[in-house]
Amino acid sequence: MMLEYDPGMIAIYSPTMIPIYLCGIVAIYAVIRVVMEKNTLRKLVFLSVMNFAITGLVVLTIPDIMALFAGLAYFIGSNLEANAIASTYVGGEYSK
Amino acid sequence: MTGLVLNIIIAALVSWIIFITIDIIFKLPERGGVSGADGIGHAIAADGGSLNGGFMMGNIVCSPDASAGVLLAACGVFVAGIPGGLIAAVVVYVGNRICNDPGYAGFTGAVWATFIISWFGLIGITPDVFIAGMVIAILTIQGISHRYASLLLNRLWRIRA
Repeated sequence: MMLEYDPGMIAIYSPTMIPIYLCGIVAIYAVIRVVMEKNTLRKLVFLSVMNFAITGLVVLTIPDIMALFAGLAYFIGSNLEANAIASTYVGGEYSK
Repeated sequence: MTGLVLNIIIAALVSWIIFITIDIIFKLPERGGVSGADGIGHAIAADGGSLNGGFMMGNIVCSPDASAGVLLAACGVFVAGIPGGLIAAVVVYVGNRICNDPGYAGFTGAVWATFIISWFGLIGITPDVFIAGMVIAILTIQGISHRYASLLLNRLWRIRA
């Protein structure tokens, strides 16, 4: 049986896919840098680049309002986790 | 396709200028807002970078600042237009409060970026291009070389201080 043509589907070589590919490449690059980095606190800085790229991917691949909320929740949650890890690592108290 | 690549470069430059300007106006490089940001600043300074630039990079990691505001506003405008961007701004404000960050850089950045990105949509640079542009802009600061990025941020901070 032949597959029907789906006008809503975007071909993988279409130029409109370039932003999605860019976000994916940046995410993979950031993960490689995280693995290669020795210092825990500096790992978190590379990890934040991955969080930016994944948030972009979530919203770009599913252009829907609920995906926006998923991306927002993912990003704020990842910031909170990085904050908690870094604060615990350096001693735990807020510096004022 | 060449036009799209050019648009991504323009979007990356515009997002870079927006988030660096707002972060420096809100004095993010002055000190680490929370102790984690303070520790990241010292870790980058120990590697040969600048302490003030390190504080700003630590603040970007530990709390949603203007760079997060620009990315999430671009996501919001991409999905739901200007109302989507303003929803993102409210969530960034809540995130700032959750992360115990005293500043308003994220909220201000998101509101500004919503209107700037909507305006660029009128001249053909769409919000999905801005999402990719913001990812590239944050890559240049946080992902290539912490030492030189922090020295660059320190030089820009000297102009403000």
